[in-house]
Amino acid sequence: MEVIGEEPRRRLHPLSPLLHGAKALVVIVVALSWQTLREVGLGFFALMVLVVVIGAVIMSVVSWYNTGYHVVGHELRVYEGLLWRRTRAIPLERLQSVEVVRPLLAQVTGLAELRLEVVGGGKTEAPLAYLSVADATVLRDRLLAIARGVSDVVPAEGAAPVVGPSRVPGDGPVLLAVRNRDLVISQLLTPQALFLPIGVAFVVVQFAFDPSWSFIGVASTLTAIAGVLLQPVRRVLSDWNFRLRHGDRALRLRFGLLETRSQTVPVDRVQGVTATWPLLWRGHRWLRLTLDVAGVAGQDTSGGGNETDRLLPVGTADEAERVAGIVLPGVRLDALAFVPPPPRTRWFHPLAQPRLGVTLTDRIVATRDGLLTRTVLMVPYARIQSVRVVQGPLQRLLGVATVYADTARGRSAALRDRDLAEAWRLADDLARLGRAARAAAPDRGGAVVVPAQTVDPAAPPLPQPSG
Amino acid sequence: MDIAAAGPTSPLEPWPDTVDWQPVSRDLIWVELIRWGMGAAAMLIPLGILWGIFGVWPLGLAFVVVLVLMLWRFWSIFRAVRAWGYAERDHDLLVRHGLVVRRLSIVPYARMQFVDVSAGPLERAFNLATVQLHTAAAASDARVPGLRPTEASRLRDRLTALGEDRAEGL
Repeated sequence: MEVIGEEPRRRLHPLSPLLHGAKALVVIVVALSWQTLREVGLGFFALMVLVVVIGAVIMSVVSWYNTGYHVVGHELRVYEGLLWRRTRAIPLERLQSVEVVRPLLAQVTGLAELRLEVVGGGKTEAPLAYLSVADATVLRDRLLAIARGVSDVVPAEGAAPVVGPSRVPGDGPVLLAVRNRDLVISQLLTPQALFLPIGVAFVVVQFAFDPSWSFIGVASTLTAIAGVLLQPVRRVLSDWNFRLRHGDRALRLRFGLLETRSQTVPVDRVQGVTATWPLLWRGHRWLRLTLDVAGVAGQDTSGGGNETDRLLPVGTADEAERVAGIVLPGVRLDALAFVPPPPRTRWFHPLAQPRLGVTLTDRIVATRDGLLTRTVLMVPYARIQSVRVVQGPLQRLLGVATVYADTARGRSAALRDRDLAEAWRLADDLARLGRAARAAAPDRGGAVVVPAQTVDPAAPPLPQPSG
Repeated sequence: MDIAAAGPTSPLEPWPDTVDWQPVSRDLIWVELIRWGMGAAAMLIPLGILWGIFGVWPLGLAFVVVLVLMLWRFWSIFRAVRAWGYAERDHDLLVRHGLVVRRLSIVPYARMQFVDVSAGPLERAFNLATVQLHTAAAASDARVPGLRPTEASRLRDRLTALGEDRAEGL
């Protein structure tokens, strides 16, 4: 089947179909809903679920039998499908981050799912579910080593796969550990959690006046409340025991209670960092840092759907400084001096105008936004894909324009409502600085001959953390 | 207005002294006019028929509003096509366009992922083509319509060559 000399294809772990079946169970029960349970009765409901689950398991077994993966050169190849065969070749040079995810069931059985993020993929590419933890770790380290550049994995290439994680980003010292107490408090200080008592009171009052205490009614109410609370609770569960490590040009994030994730992001793949100061967290002077990595699934920033982009779920200014200093070397959050847009743009933002602002440092462009929930978005020059200047009709009346610095994440740093002359200058600066940054630190570390004195932003003099 | 007028920069011609802006072909006006004509007909004829049949005033109002908008659009096509421009600098491609919302894109060659050259039936009829430069950022907006096919291929080849030279991807 395989070409001679290639590494043999490997299968996923044999327990995978069972886990998929169990996962399907939850989905099926949710899909069938309480309504169906009431209509068809418990026995028939259980039978329906059983039939579908068995079907799902059989499908999973078939798909497991036909799924394989192996590393060929600089590619990870994943084969799947029985009727529609699909081979995906994932170029590892494009690898943006790797995640080892262990849902609850996988933790029980000692398995893990490996997720790769590559550029251009709207969703997570090639989730390998499931591998044994040891296999997943070895494969992850190997993929990362290949992705980091040809030069430092020459011995690892070809027939001899690296068995021990020798030249791979090791688990460095824990740079930061988020206290679970802070995490819970921070999620209680969200609008959803604060509005919950009102919702509960509403439901209680309704029941008091119309006591129709049926199992279905209670279950539906609980489901609704759970729906409201879903985001804060999910945040707490997913960010539980948040640990941030930094080693060998990569960030290692590990978090989660029921589902532990361990995410590895090479530092030079960070497209941007957002710092958010929610209004309700001001009392504690807390902030949140999120990370933009190209290709990470869930590009809509609307819901709480961004599961894979956290950098610091909650932290003090000091902690944030430390983390930001690793990801964006030489950047100090509190030292950014923002320049607000000209006063005549008050008409656009009556209250927020003085809060808006832009600053260019030697490495990043940062924009500040927001009146109640303040955010600062920082984009390294080296990650700017293109620069745009847009001037709407109202902006033309005031002689201002907005400059965008686009990144591969799909989010753009918007330098809003700058004076026109300044906007042209900013656009020119951004283009020039972006070019200079790219020249100073080519993205393909090993592929290009880099002069020895080149400043590598990904390898900063690492301040030893105190924790 | 005060500051904008003070600087030597006009919204449509940034850096006029350092950048050599290339206009797009004036034939694009015809393409746009035909598109406009079809759009106008598609909206005005049904509205007019309905107005003629029912004779109620809201339909008449809608007809007039659409007509005014269409006439304004007709008038602006000429200027809009003249507003399109592109410039090849040493390291990046500049594209500017738009009248109501004015846009300028600066796309470094090194960031180029691929180049599209396309020509629809209308464009082909007028011997025109569109070149579009794609980067990894979806927001990048570097599209140059109304190029002669030879110019389009030249631009494409040049962009690809420069992109290969400076390939850094992400």
